[in-house]
Amino acid sequence: MRVDGQEVEPAGTILDAVLALGISLPHLCKDDNLPAIGACRTCLVEADGRVVAACHTPAAGVEEVLTASERAVRLRRAVLRLTARMHGPRPDVEGGPRSAELWAAYGEHGLEQPAYPRRARDTFDTSSPFFHFDEQACILCGRCVAACQGLQHIGAIGIAGTGTHARVTPGAGVAFAASICTACGSCVAACPTHALRPAPSSRDGVRFERATEG
Amino acid sequence: METKTWTTCPFCGVGCGIVVHTRDGRIAWVDDDPANLSSRGMLCVKGRFGTTFVQHPDRLTTPLIRRGGEFVPATWDEALDLIAERLPAFRGRFGSFASAKATNEDAFVQQKFVRLIMGTNNIDHCTRLCHSPSVEAMLDQLGSGATSNSYSDYEEASCLVLVGCDPGSNHPVIASRMRKAVDEFGTRLVVVNPKRIDMAERADIFLQPLPGTDVALFNGMARAILDEGLEDRAFIAGRTEGFEAWRAAVLERTVEEYAAVCGVGAAELREAARLYAAPPPRRGLPPGERPGSCLAWGMGITQHAHGTDNARALINLALLTGQLGRPGCGISPLRGQNNVQGCGDAGCIPDSLPGYQPYAGDVAAIFEEAWGAGIPREPGIKATDMVERIAAGDIRAMYIVGENPLLSEPNLAHAEALFRQLDFLVVQDLFLHETAQLADVVLPACSFAEKDGTFTNSERRVQRVRPAIPPVGASRPDWAIIADLARRMAPGAGIDPRQFAYGSAAEVFAEMARLTPQLRGISYERLDREGGIQWPCPNPDHPGTRFLYADRFPRGLGKFVPVRQAEPAAELPDSAYPLVLNTGRVLYHWHGGTITRRVQALVEQMPEVPVAIHPDDAAKLGIDEGVEVVVRSRRGRLTGKAVITDAVREGSVFVPFVKLQGSAANFLTNNAYDEPSRIPEYKVCAVRVEKKRPRPVGAIGAPPTASRGR
Ligand code: SF4
Ligand code: SF4
Ligand code: FES
Repeated sequence: MRVDGQEVEPAGTILDAVLALGISLPHLCKDDNLPAIGACRTCLVEADGRVVAACHTPAAGVEEVLTASERAVRLRRAVLRLTARMHGPRPDVEGGPRSAELWAAYGEHGLEQPAYPRRARDTFDTSSPFFHFDEQACILCGRCVAACQGLQHIGAIGIAGTGTHARVTPGAGVAFAASICTACGSCVAACPTHALRPAPSSRDGVRFERATEG
Repeated sequence: METKTWTTCPFCGVGCGIVVHTRDGRIAWVDDDPANLSSRGMLCVKGRFGTTFVQHPDRLTTPLIRRGGEFVPATWDEALDLIAERLPAFRGRFGSFASAKATNEDAFVQQKFVRLIMGTNNIDHCTRLCHSPSVEAMLDQLGSGATSNSYSDYEEASCLVLVGCDPGSNHPVIASRMRKAVDEFGTRLVVVNPKRIDMAERADIFLQPLPGTDVALFNGMARAILDEGLEDRAFIAGRTEGFEAWRAAVLERTVEEYAAVCGVGAAELREAARLYAAPPPRRGLPPGERPGSCLAWGMGITQHAHGTDNARALINLALLTGQLGRPGCGISPLRGQNNVQGCGDAGCIPDSLPGYQPYAGDVAAIFEEAWGAGIPREPGIKATDMVERIAAGDIRAMYIVGENPLLSEPNLAHAEALFRQLDFLVVQDLFLHETAQLADVVLPACSFAEKDGTFTNSERRVQRVRPAIPPVGASRPDWAIIADLARRMAPGAGIDPRQFAYGSAAEVFAEMARLTPQLRGISYERLDREGGIQWPCPNPDHPGTRFLYADRFPRGLGKFVPVRQAEPAAELPDSAYPLVLNTGRVLYHWHGGTITRRVQALVEQMPEVPVAIHPDDAAKLGIDEGVEVVVRSRRGRLTGKAVITDAVREGSVFVPFVKLQGSAANFLTNNAYDEPSRIPEYKVCAVRVEKKRPRPVGAIGAPPTASRGR
């Protein structure tokens, strides 16, 4: 199989092959630690002339993948524009470990900082001392839900409602601290935006200094 | 600057892989490691958010020497020279505690120092307080004290039996893997616990026996298996001995009689026995494979005055049903600390050399040749006895690494009085904890995040620990401190100082691997290339061992040992102390809390000791949810916050043994011991609970912080 002209072993999914070659491609709902969800459509590529989501299309049988064709880029840009309508401005705080993925995707696709429509979903849950949930930054990719159930088998959070009412929640009217959440942080590790992020107090450490003898 | 360091979680015995991210010299985030074979990308709250203790301002940053009742900062030379000068006088009356939180390398150097320089086998660690009965029983009946199988076997089992353990709180990632088995593969789950733990929600059978009646319960299961002919006759005939005598003992009572002793239903007991002996196959079991059952247990089995009997009764069950030596079955004593397995492997136990090798002729000779001097061949004194024998003058000096016995021993007031009688006490740790405050010399050690080494987890997997940040203050790795001290003392002891001239942790590991057959094939080079390796790994081409006992037990045949239910506990409730206290752990704190009390978010989550009490008892005592209560036993008292829940049995209270705001369960617990293993009976004692009477509020002192304002 060839990706953007480079030969590669067609193992796993197209996304695996793309990333193995070090080619940058957004994949906002695919965690390297979890099975594909296929919800965000930000990983669209051209495979033998068809446009497919790279994260859940097997590489086997595919001959030619183009990640940067005019059509693939145009479609991804359109998807990212729609994604941008889902969330508010980037909060001025440190995000979780993967929170830069969303902004990197915008940057690579030449999108301006998006215009921000008034958000209906704007819960700000600081009930856990370990992490905060800032819903206005959520793009409903579902990675957190997959981490909580598929990886940890806890099932503390889910996506409730559909369409514009859909939201990530530990239960209607329930705060994280009052739910069965065990604060394992797998959802925080997975979130590609600032929505789920470590609480400032969970990392209020001091700097390390190497003192001299005595 | 940002760095990422692949290393191993310092909390419980699961041994998850973590990736420590630092930014500008502080830990910014702890990520999971999907490539780690033990944790497969999972983590719990402590590993993820709990490592900030390493950067707490309370960290000890310089050696301290007691001068006229006060601690005075000292240089390493001053502190180590003082110890080197004082310790030789205590040869023969010296004991040492090693740390199950430190690395294999730390443990190895420490036991070598104690055996070679101090000439004694008086070295032990916290296993004495947690799984010594399991180890005792497994060594006697099977010939090895290790977990037989691997975490992947939990996912491949057709039935999981969890006894006296709460993996959701103490081994959260094992709990995740067990939930995965239940949710995805339809694995049957049996939970036996006096407290209704979270996992009980998914259980097919949940048994809530009266405290201290475990032997009757497992004998009852055995009787049910025999009644229905579900025993594995081929396994019993080919792989075991002592069956007839054991069977006769079990047949002394009926299932109904056993069930009545435990306060559980006979039908449920039978069903549990059936599920364990012959579970229906899980989804996806390879055709032709016998459905397996895993038996996992915790402190609820061991911390009793008859803990060894409890463990024996469980091993008898595994032998009876042949649930050993295949994938998807086995026995797992769940280990509490990151390196309990490794600390024992490295020889920090009084009755054997590294690798559980006996002091007998040939083996000791190998060590003597390698170390160029004689080593003592008499078994040493066990940890709990070392403390008790301070009173008799048998122990006058102690060297304690990474342990805080004045929080972990039972009956703390009694233990403290004993420690105060010591003539010389050295404590080496991260924080100036309760025990360190009584020391003559305190030495600052590096945390896991600052040193090279290895930990060995509950599934016998040796994994690398790597430095993510520079040492805090003047702290040094434990092995380096002890090797430095040993070099200073070696000439006086007639030992070649080059025996302790290690240049790196890798050199220490190499020596340990050379002298320990089960580790011989493991090296840093292999660990760095392949990831963690499960011992036994006898040579460099060996892939490591996923499960033990495939065709024989180390002692030859597995041994049935008849056990009978004794008095449930050394102290039972009466009119003055009408309730039974059960102790255990909570998710948000780790052990005594010396570490987790220094993680702000964990303290915010759980600031006070919770006292769980049944609604009926609470109503009788007029106690409401959330009020302050006082729990008293014949030995002490504690203050906590009432949590009213029917998760505990009527007549029982549950208190985790973490110390918060000056209150700790071990002020109450009983220093009654199990005879073969000398474990204290932490799990049962008689108490009474009352509402706290309001009194004028005094100043609440901050924890002592001698290292502040350094
Ligand atoms: S932190 Fe809570 S919500 Fe997030 S994955 Fe863990 S249990 Fe689920
Ligand atoms: S909280 Fe984060 S991970 Fe979860 S759906 Fe929203 S954006 Fe995705
Ligand atoms: S990453 Fe492929 S659809 Fe989201």
